[in-house]
Amino acid sequence: MHLFLLGASHHSAPVDLRERIDFARRGIPEALEEVVDATGLAEVVILSTCNRAEIYTHSEAPRPVAERLSTFMSAFHDVPEPELAPHLYGRQGSDAARHLFRVVAGLDSLVVGEPQILGQVKDAFAIAAERGFTGAALNRLFHTSFTVGKRVRHETGLGEGAVSVSYAAISLARKIFGDLAGRRALVVGAGEMAELTATHLRSQDVGRIGVANRSAARAAALAAEVDGLAVPWEEITAELTTTDIVLTATGAPRWLLTREQVADAMRPRRDRPLFMIDIGLPRDVEPAASEVEQVFLYNIDDLQSIVRENLARRQSQVDRAELMVREEVDAFMRWLRSRGAIPTVVALRRHFERTRRQELERLAPKLAALSPAAKSRVEEVTRLLVEKLLSSPTQQLKAAPNEDAVAADADTISRLFGLDEDDEPAERRRAPGERAAAGAAGRSSAARNR
Amino acid sequence: MNATPLALYLVAWVAYAVHFGTRSPASGRIATVSLVVGALVHTFVIGMQTMQVGHVPLVGTTGAISAFVWVLALAYLYTEMTTDERAMGIFIVPLMVVLQLIPAITNSVAARPPVLESRWFEIHVFSLLVAYATFALACVISITYVLLFKELKAKHLGVFYARLPSLQVLDGMNSRAVTFGWVFLTLGLAVGAIWLVQVQPGAADPRVQAMSLLDPKIFTVLLCWLVYTFSLYARRAFGWGGRRAAWLSAVGFAILMLNFVPIGYFGTDSHNFY
Repeated sequence: MHLFLLGASHHSAPVDLRERIDFARRGIPEALEEVVDATGLAEVVILSTCNRAEIYTHSEAPRPVAERLSTFMSAFHDVPEPELAPHLYGRQGSDAARHLFRVVAGLDSLVVGEPQILGQVKDAFAIAAERGFTGAALNRLFHTSFTVGKRVRHETGLGEGAVSVSYAAISLARKIFGDLAGRRALVVGAGEMAELTATHLRSQDVGRIGVANRSAARAAALAAEVDGLAVPWEEITAELTTTDIVLTATGAPRWLLTREQVADAMRPRRDRPLFMIDIGLPRDVEPAASEVEQVFLYNIDDLQSIVRENLARRQSQVDRAELMVREEVDAFMRWLRSRGAIPTVVALRRHFERTRRQELERLAPKLAALSPAAKSRVEEVTRLLVEKLLSSPTQQLKAAPNEDAVAADADTISRLFGLDEDDEPAERRRAPGERAAAGAAGRSSAARNR
Repeated sequence: MNATPLALYLVAWVAYAVHFGTRSPASGRIATVSLVVGALVHTFVIGMQTMQVGHVPLVGTTGAISAFVWVLALAYLYTEMTTDERAMGIFIVPLMVVLQLIPAITNSVAARPPVLESRWFEIHVFSLLVAYATFALACVISITYVLLFKELKAKHLGVFYARLPSLQVLDGMNSRAVTFGWVFLTLGLAVGAIWLVQVQPGAADPRVQAMSLLDPKIFTVLLCWLVYTFSLYARRAFGWGGRRAAWLSAVGFAILMLNFVPIGYFGTDSHNFY
């Protein structure tokens, strides 16, 4: 019932350090094996993305895991501990759960609300779960975190709206044309943005991407890169009549396309919309072209202001998302504490049951004269009596408000009923080393079965 | 009896408005469920009236309005369920609420004059109601098209950008709805004309004698037919789509509603069967 997390993220560590502690380099399965060997823990999940490297652990008994995990990380990644330690953060109990839920919700991401993290956490959990590195607590923790991620996405606007210029352009195109499959695009000019947007367009199944450049060789090069078709420079205006999406990025000193040219191109197109993205500086398309019916002209400033608005809107949803995280953390911790009370509950039941049996055995000679039906009645009545007597304490133990209360309850109950002397729960009796060995054995057999 | 569906439509309207504002899944479900229940109760009301008077209550503008609201509820629910778009609800349900007020207040079923005891009459009214409901949807789709178009042109992406499907999808929906409505409008008018040719020579009813192209109700509906016919023709012949098609659809429906309610009650000598 002790949850612990140690990790580093873009909040705590610079990129060059994050690169060096990326678990994916040597493989997460191998890392999981080594953590278990180094710390003797049975439940571990490793989350490793380009922005974070985190180890989530759970153990039934309190253990000094922080230092061992930190030593393990430094050894595994071959980064000296004094260099690594200042960038690591540790969280335990409800703070660890809150951290994971915030991560999955996208609240801890570099770009708030980014959607990929949910899938990454799912993968990280699957890798650990498949190899038997998770138990009831981590299973529940991660499944709850997926629920949090989905709730935040569906019930808040945290993940809504494009937050990069090229993605904003794609979103606009989709709002105009719907499905982009089979649409025609034309990229005029070159540069990183043009290339990036062309790649995004390609991933949207755009039918044909034409590429034009003053230098035919560069047009051919970019065309090859994005699986497009080089278009001769002189044919740009002719091409406009059949293209749906035009991206210009030449930055030429004069208008590449004037309002007149655009209006002329629109005539044969009738009311089929034309989406123009002008990311050239200075601009390539005369701004007045946006007055032409069914022409949607966006320049780099327009796109950037959309991105800014979307970021602001996401920020405004943060409080709602945090509230959801808080609710789920509370619910999870209640569950975890109720589980923490289980050993005490089990010991208490065992104690009562044994007392009942002893008394029945003691009375056996006197009961011998009874008919079988009456005997089974005695058996039943005594069992029900024990059940009734235990029902309220069981509920109260599970509803303890915090971990300290759970421990205090356990102590009191043990003392009052003398539980420690007569019987300890099986789990507590085993030495830590034994347990780790048993866990490892279980894992390897699970691995063989697959 | 018509007040119960009215109350449910009102609940649906509020829920659609809340859903539009907050986009919470729960309010969306409440909206759809209350509209479905409203339509079911409405079906029951129309069924009861049919049993009561022995014919479907389509005679007179009040009965026709109630039937129109019912057809519109079904047509809208069909669209919502096939496209999974709830954003139109906030526009279409208020129309239903406002129109349903009329049958809810008057609440009487018009007696059927002998001249209307004909299969032709029922087909005539029912086809036109289906056409009207489809045009109502087309009009709402067009309004949302124009709103989204304005946001995209102004580069100010707001409520409609976040809630509506793409321009092309809306344009396609408008086109399909207008085509579908036009077929039923034409059918309804043709059936009306055939019926008129059959009964007019021997009819003593002054209303039947008043049925001519110059009667305001008949004149206006023909005007409507011309608007929608032009809209279909212009799309094929000159590629008119998008905003132009949207405006035609909105104008067509505005004329239609004018003809249906005010002219239906006060402006016609030929169709005043109350």
